[in-house]
Amino acid sequence: MPVAVEARHLSKTYEHRGGKTEALTNVDLTIPAGQVYGMIGRNGAGKTTFVRVAATQLTPTSGTVTVLGYDILRETSKVRARIAAVPQESRPLYFLNVDELIFLYLTIRGTDPRDARKRTDAILEELGLASVRKRLVHMLSGGMRRRAMVAMVLASDAEVLYLDEPTTGLDPIARREVWSAVRRAVRDGRTVLLTTHYLDEAEALSGRIALLEGGQVRLEGTPSSIRDRVHQPYRIVVSGVLGRSELESFGTVSPVEGGFLIFAREAPARELALLALSKGAKVSLGPVTLEDIFLQVVGKSIDADDTSEGDGKEGGA
Amino acid sequence: MTERHRLRSLLWIAYMNGVVPMRTQPLYLLSILASPLSFLFFVTVASHGTLIFYGIAGGMILTVLSVGTSLQTDMSHYRTDLKFQDVIVASPVEAPIYVAGIALSELIYSLPGLGVFVVLWRLNGPISPEAALSVVGILLTVWALATSLGFTLSTYFNDIRETFVFSSIVSLGLSVLPPVYYPISAIPASVRWLAYLSPTTYAAFLMQGAFGLQPLSLPSAAVDWLILVLAAIALLAIAAVKARWRDP
Repeated sequence: MPVAVEARHLSKTYEHRGGKTEALTNVDLTIPAGQVYGMIGRNGAGKTTFVRVAATQLTPTSGTVTVLGYDILRETSKVRARIAAVPQESRPLYFLNVDELIFLYLTIRGTDPRDARKRTDAILEELGLASVRKRLVHMLSGGMRRRAMVAMVLASDAEVLYLDEPTTGLDPIARREVWSAVRRAVRDGRTVLLTTHYLDEAEALSGRIALLEGGQVRLEGTPSSIRDRVHQPYRIVVSGVLGRSELESFGTVSPVEGGFLIFAREAPARELALLALSKGAKVSLGPVTLEDIFLQVVGKSIDADDTSEGDGKEGGA
Repeated sequence: MTERHRLRSLLWIAYMNGVVPMRTQPLYLLSILASPLSFLFFVTVASHGTLIFYGIAGGMILTVLSVGTSLQTDMSHYRTDLKFQDVIVASPVEAPIYVAGIALSELIYSLPGLGVFVVLWRLNGPISPEAALSVVGILLTVWALATSLGFTLSTYFNDIRETFVFSSIVSLGLSVLPPVYYPISAIPASVRWLAYLSPTTYAAFLMQGAFGLQPLSLPSAAVDWLILVLAAIALLAIAAVKARWRDP
Protein backbone atom coordinates (compact mmCIF):
# COMPACT_ATOMS: atom_id res chain seq x y z
CA MET A 1 0.00 0.00 0.00
CA PRO A 2 1.52 3.38 -0.98
CA VAL A 3 2.36 5.58 2.00
CA ALA A 4 1.56 9.30 2.22
CA VAL A 5 3.13 10.23 5.54
CA GLU A 6 5.48 8.16 7.64
CA ALA A 7 6.83 9.15 11.05
CA ARG A 8 9.54 7.22 12.84
CA HIS A 9 10.58 7.86 16.45
CA LEU A 10 9.20 11.36 16.13
CA SER A 11 9.59 13.54 19.20
CA LYS A 12 9.00 17.23 19.74
CA THR A 13 9.88 19.14 22.87
CA TYR A 14 9.04 22.81 23.29
CA GLU A 15 11.47 24.81 25.34
CA HIS A 16 10.14 27.84 27.14
CA ARG A 17 10.94 29.98 30.13
CA GLY A 18 9.07 27.67 32.49
CA GLY A 19 11.00 24.61 31.30
CA LYS A 20 10.27 22.01 28.67
CA THR A 21 7.05 20.51 27.36
CA GLU A 22 7.15 17.21 25.57
CA ALA A 23 4.43 17.43 22.93
CA LEU A 24 5.28 14.25 20.99
CA THR A 25 7.22 11.26 22.32
CA ASN A 26 8.65 8.62 20.03
CA VAL A 27 5.69 8.56 17.67
CA ASP A 28 5.61 5.96 14.91
CA LEU A 29 2.83 6.39 12.37
CA THR A 30 2.22 5.22 8.83
CA ILE A 31 -0.49 7.09 6.98
CA PRO A 32 -1.58 5.29 3.83
CA ALA A 33 -2.12 7.30 0.65
CA GLY A 34 -5.54 7.84 -0.89
CA GLN A 35 -7.69 7.93 2.22
CA VAL A 36 -8.73 10.12 5.11
CA TYR A 37 -6.59 9.53 8.18
CA GLY A 38 -8.28 10.71 11.33
CA MET A 39 -6.28 11.91 14.29
CA ILE A 40 -8.25 12.25 17.50
CA GLY A 41 -7.28 13.38 20.95
CA ARG A 42 -7.96 15.97 23.60
CA ASN A 43 -6.50 19.46 23.58
CA GLY A 44 -2.79 19.08 24.22
CA ALA A 45 -2.61 15.49 22.99
CA GLY A 46 -0.09 16.38 20.28
CA LYS A 47 -2.30 16.37 17.17
CA THR A 48 -1.47 19.88 16.01
CA THR A 49 2.22 19.40 16.73
CA PHE A 50 2.22 16.28 14.55
CA VAL A 51 0.41 18.07 11.72
CA ARG A 52 2.73 21.09 11.91
CA VAL A 53 5.82 18.91 11.75
CA ALA A 54 4.47 16.87 8.84
CA ALA A 55 3.40 20.07 7.05
CA THR A 56 6.99 21.42 7.31
CA GLN A 57 5.89 24.27 9.58
CA LEU A 58 7.67 23.05 12.70
CA THR A 59 11.07 21.43 13.23
CA PRO A 60 11.02 18.10 15.06
CA THR A 61 13.34 17.58 18.02
CA SER A 62 14.24 14.07 16.87
CA GLY A 63 13.03 11.33 14.56
CA THR A 64 12.11 11.42 10.89
CA VAL A 65 9.03 12.20 8.85
CA THR A 66 8.62 11.53 5.15
CA VAL A 67 5.79 12.77 2.94
CA LEU A 68 5.25 10.74 -0.25
CA GLY A 69 8.75 9.39 0.30
CA TYR A 70 10.44 12.77 0.71
CA ASP A 71 12.13 13.74 3.96
CA ILE A 72 10.58 16.87 5.49
CA LEU A 73 13.97 18.29 6.51
CA ARG A 74 16.25 17.28 3.63
CA GLU A 75 13.75 17.46 0.75
CA THR A 76 11.52 20.24 2.01
CA SER A 77 10.75 21.85 -1.36
CA LYS A 78 9.63 18.49 -2.82
CA VAL A 79 7.33 18.00 0.16
CA ARG A 80 5.91 21.53 -0.04
CA ALA A 81 5.15 21.14 -3.74
CA ARG A 82 2.78 18.31 -2.84
CA ILE A 83 0.97 19.51 0.28
CA ALA A 84 -1.61 22.06 1.41
CA ALA A 85 -2.77 22.88 4.93
CA VAL A 86 -5.50 24.62 6.87
CA PRO A 87 -3.90 25.29 10.26
CA GLN A 88 -5.91 25.19 13.44
CA GLU A 89 -7.54 28.55 14.21
CA SER A 90 -6.37 30.00 10.89
CA ARG A 91 -8.43 32.82 9.43
CA PRO A 92 -8.56 34.30 5.94
CA LEU A 93 -7.11 37.71 5.09
CA TYR A 94 -9.92 40.07 6.06
CA PHE A 95 -9.76 42.35 3.01
CA LEU A 96 -10.37 39.56 0.47
CA ASN A 97 -13.72 38.31 -0.67
CA VAL A 98 -14.41 34.57 -0.75
CA ASP A 99 -13.73 34.26 -4.46
CA GLU A 100 -10.42 36.14 -4.21
CA LEU A 101 -9.35 34.09 -1.20
CA ILE A 102 -9.55 30.83 -3.16
CA PHE A 103 -8.47 32.14 -6.56
CA LEU A 104 -5.46 34.02 -5.21
CA TYR A 105 -4.36 31.11 -3.02
CA LEU A 106 -4.32 28.90 -6.12
CA THR A 107 -2.49 31.40 -8.34
CA ILE A 108 0.05 32.11 -5.58
CA ARG A 109 0.69 28.36 -5.37
CA GLY A 110 1.50 28.47 -9.08
CA THR A 111 -1.78 27.25 -10.61
CA ASP A 112 -2.47 28.67 -14.05
CA PRO A 113 -5.06 31.49 -13.69
CA ARG A 114 -7.54 29.84 -16.10
CA ASP A 115 -7.32 26.56 -14.22
CA ALA A 116 -7.53 28.46 -10.92
CA ARG A 117 -10.74 30.14 -12.10
CA LYS A 118 -12.33 26.78 -12.96
CA ARG A 119 -11.24 25.21 -9.69
CA THR A 120 -12.52 28.22 -7.71
CA ASP A 121 -15.94 28.13 -9.38
CA ALA A 122 -16.25 24.38 -8.82
CA ILE A 123 -15.33 24.41 -5.12
CA LEU A 124 -17.57 27.40 -4.40
CA GLU A 125 -20.50 25.43 -5.80
CA GLU A 126 -19.52 22.22 -4.05
CA LEU A 127 -19.17 23.79 -0.62
CA GLY A 128 -22.26 25.97 -0.91
CA LEU A 129 -20.28 29.22 -1.01
CA ALA A 130 -21.30 30.44 -4.47
CA SER A 131 -23.93 32.79 -3.11
CA VAL A 132 -21.40 34.61 -0.91
CA ARG A 133 -18.46 34.57 -3.33
CA LYS A 134 -18.26 38.38 -3.55
CA ARG A 135 -18.71 38.95 0.16
CA LEU A 136 -15.69 40.10 2.17
CA VAL A 137 -14.56 37.29 4.43
CA HIS A 138 -14.73 39.43 7.56
CA MET A 139 -18.46 39.83 6.90
CA LEU A 140 -18.99 36.06 7.09
CA SER A 141 -19.88 34.00 10.15
CA GLY A 142 -17.05 32.06 11.79
CA GLY A 143 -18.33 28.82 10.31
CA MET A 144 -18.48 30.24 6.78
CA ARG A 145 -14.95 31.60 7.11
CA ARG A 146 -13.73 28.19 8.16
CA ARG A 147 -15.50 26.63 5.20
CA ALA A 148 -13.83 29.14 2.88
CA MET A 149 -10.43 28.15 4.28
CA VAL A 150 -11.17 24.47 3.70
CA ALA A 151 -12.42 25.27 0.18
CA MET A 152 -9.12 26.98 -0.52
CA VAL A 153 -6.97 23.89 0.04
CA LEU A 154 -9.48 21.44 -1.38
CA ALA A 155 -9.40 23.43 -4.63
CA SER A 156 -5.63 23.02 -4.87
CA ASP A 157 -3.83 20.23 -6.69
CA ALA A 158 -1.96 19.15 -3.54
CA GLU A 159 -1.67 15.40 -3.06
CA VAL A 160 -1.63 15.50 0.75
CA LEU A 161 -4.00 17.81 2.61
CA TYR A 162 -3.67 18.65 6.29
CA LEU A 163 -6.93 19.77 7.83
CA ASP A 164 -6.46 20.68 11.48
CA GLU A 165 -9.92 20.72 13.06
CA PRO A 166 -11.55 21.93 9.84
CA THR A 167 -15.15 21.75 10.97
CA THR A 168 -14.87 23.39 14.38
CA GLY A 169 -17.67 25.91 14.66
CA LEU A 170 -19.61 24.67 11.63
CA ASP A 171 -23.28 23.83 11.83
CA PRO A 172 -24.29 20.21 11.05
CA ILE A 173 -25.25 20.98 7.43
CA ALA A 174 -22.01 22.82 6.73
CA ARG A 175 -20.04 20.02 8.36
CA ARG A 176 -21.60 17.50 6.02
CA GLU A 177 -20.82 19.70 3.01
CA VAL A 178 -17.19 19.72 4.09
CA TRP A 179 -17.32 15.96 4.60
CA SER A 180 -18.56 15.38 1.07
CA ALA A 181 -15.82 17.62 -0.34
CA VAL A 182 -13.22 15.73 1.70
CA ARG A 183 -14.61 12.42 0.43
CA ARG A 184 -14.40 13.70 -3.13
CA ALA A 185 -10.77 14.72 -2.59
CA VAL A 186 -10.03 11.19 -1.47
CA ARG A 187 -11.86 9.74 -4.47
CA ASP A 188 -9.50 11.82 -6.61
CA GLY A 189 -6.65 9.86 -5.06
CA ARG A 190 -5.53 12.42 -2.51
CA THR A 191 -4.70 11.86 1.14
CA VAL A 192 -6.30 13.88 3.91
CA LEU A 193 -4.84 14.03 7.41
CA LEU A 194 -7.69 15.26 9.55
CA THR A 195 -7.54 16.17 13.20
CA THR A 196 -10.82 16.52 14.97
CA HIS A 197 -12.59 16.63 18.30
CA TYR A 198 -15.70 15.21 16.69
CA LEU A 199 -15.44 11.46 17.00
CA ASP A 200 -18.42 10.89 14.71
CA GLU A 201 -16.57 12.88 12.07
CA ALA A 202 -13.43 10.79 12.45
CA GLU A 203 -15.47 7.60 12.26
CA ALA A 204 -17.55 8.75 9.29
CA LEU A 205 -14.62 9.91 7.17
CA SER A 206 -11.51 8.02 8.17
CA GLY A 207 -10.10 4.84 6.70
CA ARG A 208 -7.77 4.70 9.69
CA ILE A 209 -7.67 6.51 12.99
CA ALA A 210 -4.92 7.32 15.48
CA LEU A 211 -5.82 8.19 19.05
CA LEU A 212 -3.24 10.46 20.63
CA GLU A 213 -2.89 11.13 24.32
CA GLY A 214 -0.01 12.80 26.11
CA GLY A 215 2.06 13.00 22.93
CA GLN A 216 1.85 9.29 22.24
CA VAL A 217 -0.22 7.10 19.94
CA ARG A 218 -2.45 5.06 22.20
CA LEU A 219 -4.51 3.27 19.53
CA GLU A 220 -4.19 3.08 15.77
CA GLY A 221 -6.05 1.21 13.05
CA THR A 222 -9.27 1.08 11.09
CA PRO A 223 -12.37 2.00 13.10
CA SER A 224 -13.47 -1.66 13.17
CA SER A 225 -10.03 -2.99 14.13
CA ILE A 226 -9.87 -0.45 16.95
CA ARG A 227 -13.20 -1.76 18.21
CA ASP A 228 -11.92 -5.33 18.04
CA ARG A 229 -8.94 -4.45 20.19
CA VAL A 230 -10.93 -2.83 22.91
CA HIS A 231 -11.02 -4.85 26.10
CA GLN A 232 -14.77 -4.34 26.59
CA PRO A 233 -16.33 -3.98 23.12
CA TYR A 234 -20.00 -3.71 24.18
CA ARG A 235 -21.94 -0.90 25.79
CA ILE A 236 -25.12 -1.51 27.76
CA VAL A 237 -27.27 1.24 29.14
CA VAL A 238 -29.53 0.06 31.94
CA SER A 239 -32.07 2.36 33.47
CA GLY A 240 -33.55 1.93 36.95
CA VAL A 241 -34.10 -1.28 38.93
CA LEU A 242 -30.48 -2.56 39.15
CA GLY A 243 -28.04 -0.95 41.53
CA ARG A 244 -24.43 -0.12 40.84
CA SER A 245 -23.10 -2.94 43.04
CA GLU A 246 -25.09 -5.52 41.08
CA LEU A 247 -23.75 -4.20 37.78
CA GLU A 248 -20.08 -4.05 38.66
CA SER A 249 -19.61 -7.80 38.32
CA PHE A 250 -20.45 -7.51 34.58
CA GLY A 251 -17.98 -4.80 33.56
CA THR A 252 -16.99 -1.19 34.03
CA VAL A 253 -19.85 0.95 35.30
CA SER A 254 -20.36 4.69 34.87
CA PRO A 255 -23.44 6.64 35.97
CA VAL A 256 -25.44 8.30 33.20
CA GLU A 257 -28.70 10.21 33.29
CA GLY A 258 -31.44 7.85 34.49
CA GLY A 259 -29.24 4.80 34.92
CA PHE A 260 -25.82 3.32 34.24
CA LEU A 261 -23.53 2.75 31.27
CA ILE A 262 -21.62 -0.52 31.42
CA PHE A 263 -18.74 -1.52 29.16
CA ALA A 264 -18.47 -5.29 29.02
CA ARG A 265 -17.23 -8.31 27.08
CA GLU A 266 -19.72 -10.14 24.86
CA ALA A 267 -20.88 -12.91 27.27
CA PRO A 268 -21.36 -10.72 30.35
CA ALA A 269 -23.06 -8.12 28.18
CA ARG A 270 -25.65 -10.62 26.97
CA GLU A 271 -26.09 -12.02 30.50
CA LEU A 272 -26.61 -8.51 31.91
CA ALA A 273 -29.09 -7.60 29.19
CA LEU A 274 -31.18 -10.69 29.92
CA LEU A 275 -31.04 -10.09 33.68
CA ALA A 276 -32.08 -6.47 33.32
CA LEU A 277 -34.93 -7.32 30.95
CA SER A 278 -36.17 -10.04 33.36
CA LYS A 279 -36.32 -7.37 36.09
CA GLY A 280 -38.28 -4.99 33.85
CA ALA A 281 -35.48 -2.50 33.31
CA LYS A 282 -34.99 -0.55 30.09
CA VAL A 283 -31.93 -1.86 28.28
CA SER A 284 -30.00 -0.85 25.20
CA LEU A 285 -27.13 -3.01 23.98
CA GLY A 286 -24.68 -2.32 21.17
CA PRO A 287 -21.04 -2.08 20.14
CA VAL A 288 -18.99 0.67 21.77
CA THR A 289 -18.75 3.98 19.97
CA LEU A 290 -15.48 5.74 19.28
CA GLU A 291 -16.32 8.05 22.15
CA ASP A 292 -16.66 5.04 24.47
CA ILE A 293 -13.33 3.71 23.26
CA PHE A 294 -11.74 7.06 23.94
CA LEU A 295 -13.13 7.05 27.43
CA GLN A 296 -11.87 3.50 28.04
CA VAL A 297 -8.37 4.16 26.73
CA VAL A 298 -7.78 7.64 28.08
CA GLY A 299 -9.97 7.51 31.15
CA LYS A 300 -11.40 10.94 30.35
CA SER A 301 -13.84 12.37 27.86
CA ILE A 302 -12.35 13.91 24.69
CA ASP A 303 -13.83 17.24 25.78
CA ALA A 304 -11.94 17.18 29.10
CA ASP A 305 -9.26 19.82 28.78
CA ASP A 306 -5.64 19.24 29.67
CA THR A 307 -3.60 22.38 29.48
CA SER A 308 -0.48 20.77 30.91
CA GLU A 309 0.46 19.34 27.51
CA GLY A 310 1.71 21.46 24.61
CA ASP A 311 -0.27 21.08 21.44
CA GLY A 312 1.79 23.30 19.25
CA LYS A 313 -0.71 26.12 19.44
CA GLU A 314 1.60 28.38 21.25
CA GLY A 315 4.80 26.45 21.37
CA GLY A 316 6.24 26.86 17.95
CA ALA A 317 5.18 30.33 17.10
CA MET B 1 8.69 25.90 -9.15
CA THR B 2 10.22 27.34 -12.31
CA GLU B 3 11.55 30.91 -12.44
CA ARG B 4 8.41 31.91 -14.34
CA HIS B 5 6.20 30.40 -11.64
CA ARG B 6 8.22 32.12 -8.92
CA LEU B 7 7.81 35.50 -10.61
CA ARG B 8 4.08 34.91 -11.11
CA SER B 9 3.65 33.91 -7.45
CA LEU B 10 5.50 37.02 -6.35
CA LEU B 11 3.29 39.27 -8.50
CA TRP B 12 0.08 37.57 -7.32
CA ILE B 13 1.14 38.07 -3.69
CA ALA B 14 1.89 41.73 -4.45
CA TYR B 15 -1.52 42.08 -6.10
CA MET B 16 -3.28 40.38 -3.16
CA ASN B 17 -1.64 42.47 -0.46
CA GLY B 18 -1.07 45.71 -2.36
CA VAL B 19 -3.83 46.25 -4.92
CA VAL B 20 -6.84 44.47 -3.37
CA PRO B 21 -6.66 46.38 -0.04
CA MET B 22 -6.54 49.70 -1.94
CA ARG B 23 -9.97 48.81 -3.26
CA THR B 24 -11.46 47.45 -0.05
CA GLN B 25 -9.66 49.68 2.48
CA PRO B 26 -9.00 53.01 0.69
CA LEU B 27 -8.79 54.91 4.00
CA TYR B 28 -5.55 53.07 4.81
CA LEU B 29 -3.94 54.98 1.96
CA LEU B 30 -4.42 58.16 3.97
CA SER B 31 -3.00 56.56 7.10
CA ILE B 32 0.30 55.87 5.36
CA LEU B 33 0.61 59.60 4.66
CA ALA B 34 -0.32 60.74 8.15
CA SER B 35 3.15 60.68 9.75
CA PRO B 36 5.17 61.99 6.78
CA LEU B 37 2.74 64.87 6.22
CA SER B 38 2.62 65.68 9.95
CA PHE B 39 6.43 65.96 10.10
CA LEU B 40 6.40 68.06 6.93
CA PHE B 41 3.82 70.37 8.50
CA PHE B 42 5.77 70.85 11.76
CA VAL B 43 9.13 71.32 10.02
CA THR B 44 7.61 73.85 7.63
CA VAL B 45 5.83 75.79 10.37
CA ALA B 46 8.79 75.71 12.78
CA SER B 47 11.23 76.90 10.09
CA HIS B 48 8.82 79.53 8.70
CA GLY B 49 8.88 77.69 5.39
CA THR B 50 12.65 77.62 4.91
CA LEU B 51 12.89 73.85 5.40
CA ILE B 52 9.83 72.86 3.37
CA PHE B 53 11.85 70.99 0.74
CA TYR B 54 13.89 69.22 3.41
CA GLY B 55 10.49 68.14 4.72
CA ILE B 56 9.38 66.92 1.30
CA ALA B 57 12.60 64.93 0.80
CA GLY B 58 12.22 63.53 4.33
CA GLY B 59 8.57 62.74 3.69
CA MET B 60 9.55 60.53 0.76
CA ILE B 61 12.08 58.65 2.88
CA LEU B 62 9.62 58.26 5.76
CA THR B 63 6.88 57.03 3.40
CA VAL B 64 9.20 54.28 2.14
CA LEU B 65 10.43 53.53 5.68
CA SER B 66 6.83 53.10 6.75
CA VAL B 67 6.65 50.36 4.11
CA GLY B 68 9.03 48.39 6.33
CA THR B 69 6.92 49.08 9.40
CA SER B 70 3.76 48.04 7.55
CA LEU B 71 5.48 44.89 6.36
CA GLN B 72 6.56 44.08 9.90
CA THR B 73 3.03 44.58 11.22
CA ASP B 74 1.35 42.74 8.32
CA MET B 75 3.68 39.78 8.49
CA SER B 76 3.39 39.48 12.27
CA HIS B 77 -0.38 39.64 11.98
CA TYR B 78 -0.48 37.09 9.15
CA ARG B 79 1.85 34.75 11.04
CA THR B 80 0.59 34.90 14.60
CA ASP B 81 -3.08 35.87 14.33
CA LEU B 82 -4.29 34.59 10.98
CA LYS B 83 -1.80 31.69 10.59
CA PHE B 84 -1.62 32.73 6.94
CA GLN B 85 2.15 32.26 6.91
CA ASP B 86 1.66 28.62 7.93
CA VAL B 87 -0.72 28.21 4.97
CA ILE B 88 2.01 29.55 2.68
CA VAL B 89 4.80 27.55 4.34
CA ALA B 90 2.88 24.36 3.53
CA SER B 91 2.85 25.19 -0.16
CA PRO B 92 5.33 25.42 -3.05
CA VAL B 93 5.86 29.14 -2.35
CA GLU B 94 9.38 29.76 -1.02
CA ALA B 95 10.16 32.22 1.77
CA PRO B 96 12.02 34.77 -0.44
CA ILE B 97 9.10 34.84 -2.91
CA TYR B 98 6.59 35.42 -0.12
CA VAL B 99 8.69 38.15 1.49
CA ALA B 100 9.47 39.84 -1.83
CA GLY B 101 5.79 39.69 -2.79
CA ILE B 102 4.68 41.28 0.48
CA ALA B 103 7.49 43.86 0.24
CA LEU B 104 6.45 44.77 -3.31
CA SER B 105 2.83 45.00 -2.21
CA GLU B 106 3.76 47.48 0.51
CA LEU B 107 5.68 49.55 -2.04
CA ILE B 108 2.66 49.53 -4.37
CA TYR B 109 0.54 50.61 -1.45
CA SER B 110 2.85 53.55 -0.75
CA LEU B 111 2.88 54.80 -4.37
CA PRO B 112 -0.10 57.16 -4.03
CA GLY B 113 1.59 58.70 -0.97
CA LEU B 114 4.88 59.09 -2.82
CA GLY B 115 2.93 60.66 -5.67
CA VAL B 116 1.76 63.42 -3.31
CA PHE B 117 5.37 64.21 -2.36
CA VAL B 118 6.47 64.17 -6.01
CA VAL B 119 3.80 66.77 -6.76
CA LEU B 120 5.04 68.87 -3.83
CA TRP B 121 8.66 68.44 -5.01
CA ARG B 122 7.67 69.69 -8.45
CA LEU B 123 6.67 73.00 -6.76
CA ASN B 124 10.39 73.61 -6.30
CA GLY B 125 10.82 73.79 -10.06
CA PRO B 126 11.49 71.37 -12.90
CA ILE B 127 12.90 67.96 -11.88
CA SER B 128 15.95 66.86 -13.85
CA PRO B 129 16.10 63.23 -15.07
CA GLU B 130 19.34 62.74 -13.08
CA ALA B 131 17.67 63.92 -9.86
CA ALA B 132 14.59 61.76 -10.53
CA LEU B 133 16.75 58.70 -11.21
CA SER B 134 18.80 59.35 -8.12
CA VAL B 135 15.67 59.69 -5.94
CA VAL B 136 14.19 56.47 -7.35
CA GLY B 137 17.47 54.64 -6.61
CA ILE B 138 17.67 56.03 -3.06
CA LEU B 139 14.06 55.14 -2.30
CA LEU B 140 14.43 51.60 -3.70
CA THR B 141 17.53 51.06 -1.56
CA VAL B 142 15.72 52.37 1.53
CA TRP B 143 12.81 50.09 0.62
CA ALA B 144 15.12 47.04 0.50
CA LEU B 145 16.67 48.07 3.81
CA ALA B 146 13.35 48.77 5.56
CA THR B 147 11.58 45.63 4.35
CA SER B 148 14.52 43.38 5.27
CA LEU B 149 14.54 44.82 8.76
CA GLY B 150 10.75 44.60 8.99
CA PHE B 151 10.67 40.96 7.91
CA THR B 152 13.45 39.90 10.27
CA LEU B 153 11.76 41.59 13.22
CA SER B 154 8.34 40.20 12.31
CA THR B 155 9.52 36.62 12.67
CA TYR B 156 10.51 37.11 16.30
CA PHE B 157 7.21 38.31 17.73
CA ASN B 158 4.48 36.12 19.16
CA ASP B 159 2.00 38.93 19.62
CA ILE B 160 1.06 41.79 17.34
CA ARG B 161 1.32 44.28 20.23
CA GLU B 162 5.07 43.60 20.51
CA THR B 163 5.52 44.73 16.90
CA PHE B 164 3.90 48.08 17.66
CA VAL B 165 6.50 48.75 20.36
CA PHE B 166 9.35 47.88 18.01
CA SER B 167 7.83 49.86 15.13
CA SER B 168 7.97 53.03 17.23
CA ILE B 169 11.59 52.41 18.26
CA VAL B 170 12.63 51.64 14.67
CA SER B 171 10.85 54.77 13.40
CA LEU B 172 12.61 56.85 16.03
CA GLY B 173 16.01 55.43 15.13
CA LEU B 174 15.59 55.62 11.38
CA SER B 175 13.50 58.69 10.70
CA VAL B 176 13.36 61.09 13.64
CA LEU B 177 16.89 61.16 15.11
CA PRO B 178 18.72 61.14 11.75
CA PRO B 179 18.55 64.37 9.72
CA VAL B 180 15.82 63.11 7.43
CA TYR B 181 13.67 66.23 7.79
CA TYR B 182 16.32 68.87 8.37
CA PRO B 183 20.00 69.56 7.62
CA ILE B 184 22.50 67.73 9.83
CA SER B 185 23.79 71.11 10.98
CA ALA B 186 20.55 71.46 12.97
CA ILE B 187 21.67 68.63 15.27
CA PRO B 188 23.92 69.72 18.17
CA ALA B 189 27.53 68.87 17.37
CA SER B 190 27.96 66.81 20.57
CA VAL B 191 25.33 64.24 19.53
CA ARG B 192 25.79 64.42 15.78
CA TRP B 193 27.77 61.16 15.83
CA LEU B 194 24.52 59.39 16.75
CA ALA B 195 22.99 60.43 13.46
CA TYR B 196 25.88 58.87 11.54
CA LEU B 197 24.97 55.46 12.99
CA SER B 198 21.71 55.39 11.04
CA PRO B 199 21.78 54.37 7.35
CA THR B 200 18.92 56.76 6.65
CA THR B 201 21.28 59.68 7.39
CA TYR B 202 23.15 58.79 4.20
CA ALA B 203 19.87 58.39 2.32
CA ALA B 204 18.93 61.87 3.55
CA PHE B 205 22.27 63.35 2.41
CA LEU B 206 21.73 61.85 -1.05
CA MET B 207 18.11 63.04 -1.20
CA GLN B 208 19.06 66.54 -0.11
CA GLY B 209 21.76 66.50 -2.79
CA ALA B 210 19.29 65.33 -5.46
CA PHE B 211 16.86 68.08 -4.39
CA GLY B 212 19.69 70.63 -4.69
CA LEU B 213 19.38 71.57 -1.01
CA GLN B 214 22.96 70.68 -0.08
CA PRO B 215 26.07 70.65 -2.26
CA LEU B 216 27.17 67.04 -2.75
CA SER B 217 30.59 66.29 -4.18
CA LEU B 218 31.10 63.12 -6.18
CA PRO B 219 33.37 61.50 -3.54
CA SER B 220 30.86 62.33 -0.78
CA ALA B 221 27.98 60.95 -2.85
CA ALA B 222 30.00 57.79 -3.56
CA VAL B 223 30.66 57.26 0.16
CA ASP B 224 26.99 57.89 1.04
CA TRP B 225 25.84 55.43 -1.63
CA LEU B 226 28.37 52.84 -0.49
CA ILE B 227 27.24 53.03 3.13
CA LEU B 228 23.55 52.96 2.20
CA VAL B 229 23.92 49.99 -0.16
CA LEU B 230 26.13 48.08 2.29
CA ALA B 231 23.56 48.64 5.05
CA ALA B 232 20.81 47.32 2.76
CA ILE B 233 22.89 44.28 1.78
CA ALA B 234 23.75 43.59 5.42
CA LEU B 235 20.07 43.74 6.45
CA LEU B 236 19.06 41.57 3.48
CA ALA B 237 21.69 39.02 4.53
CA ILE B 238 20.49 39.09 8.13
CA ALA B 239 16.91 38.63 6.91
CA ALA B 240 17.97 35.65 4.80
CA VAL B 241 19.96 33.99 7.59
CA LYS B 242 17.94 34.85 10.68
CA ALA B 243 14.40 34.90 9.36
CA ARG B 244 12.40 31.98 10.71
CA TRP B 245 10.28 30.27 8.06
CA ARG B 246 9.90 26.89 9.75
CA ASP B 247 9.41 27.29 13.50
CA PRO B 248 12.23 25.79 15.60
